[in-house]
Amino acid sequence: MSFLTFCQWIETTSLSTAIREGALYYPILGAFHMIGIAWFGGMVLMGDLRVLGIGLRQAPVSEVLSQFRRWKWVGFVVVLASGGLLWWAEPVVCYKSVSFRIKIVLLLLVGVNALVFRRGAYGSNAAGDDGPVKSRGARLAACLSMLLWVALVFTGRGIAFF
Amino acid sequence: MLLLHFFRWLGSTPVANAINDSEWLFPVIESIHITGLAVLIGTIAIVDFRLLGLALRNRPVSQIARDLRPWTRAGIGIMLTTGPLMLSAEPERGYGNPAFEFKMTCLLLALVTHFTIHRRVTASDHASGTTAGGRLAACLSLLLWTGVILGGRAIAFF
Repeated sequence: MSFLTFCQWIETTSLSTAIREGALYYPILGAFHMIGIAWFGGMVLMGDLRVLGIGLRQAPVSEVLSQFRRWKWVGFVVVLASGGLLWWAEPVVCYKSVSFRIKIVLLLLVGVNALVFRRGAYGSNAAGDDGPVKSRGARLAACLSMLLWVALVFTGRGIAFF
Repeated sequence: MLLLHFFRWLGSTPVANAINDSEWLFPVIESIHITGLAVLIGTIAIVDFRLLGLALRNRPVSQIARDLRPWTRAGIGIMLTTGPLMLSAEPERGYGNPAFEFKMTCLLLALVTHFTIHRRVTASDHASGTTAGGRLAACLSLLLWTGVILGGRAIAFF
């Protein structure tokens, strides 16, 4: 069975049909996706800017990161769950969209960034650290995170067009 | 009537034509709008979370608000530029659309709240960490900005 056939099968499931054809499910899921981006995307961004010493300069890096971590996870789950359901509603459209394919690759890179760079770079921060983070790895991870994140928004929005 | 004229004028501006003539300009502007949404509402949400005692509890409210202010302002700038640009390209999607009207009402109230009540509670600090006024302002702020998002998302469905 090819992946396309699998996508076509998903569209025949009752959950997929319900989201696609119900008047409210799709807009509500889309709204949750947006709220997740708005409430928690800002924390990803400000966390990265703090590492670079650009935003929230007066708070120690370790404090900002540890305080945001829980909420970033909440946001991640909200965005992933709503996004997953939106995909479940229209997998064939997504399959054919170049923008969606790029988005999935970016999403994998976010995971790589989190596992490889961040874990190593952020773990070494001592408590009470002020100013920008000096570790090159951490700064690189922060830049990558911001770039990937903005690119995810662009490719996500692009699914409707390309 | 005045509003209808405004929307018609907006749709006839050279900028509107340029956006409509391009295949990729509208998606790009829309994407910048959503990125700006995270900058604007995300930074406000961080302050609101602090006011509710949910994040950065060890930092004074006023310090966080002051540190984030330039980013919130940048966010407002991005939103109030890209929003009208999108509207100019498709004024008929805004005019008479209940979702758009809801969004604009929430936006107006959110901005007024932000520059009055919100600013007031983030201007000073209290030893106890959170205050009833602060928590109320935070709830109001989160509610109104979320209303802006819901209305915005719903524009496409009416």
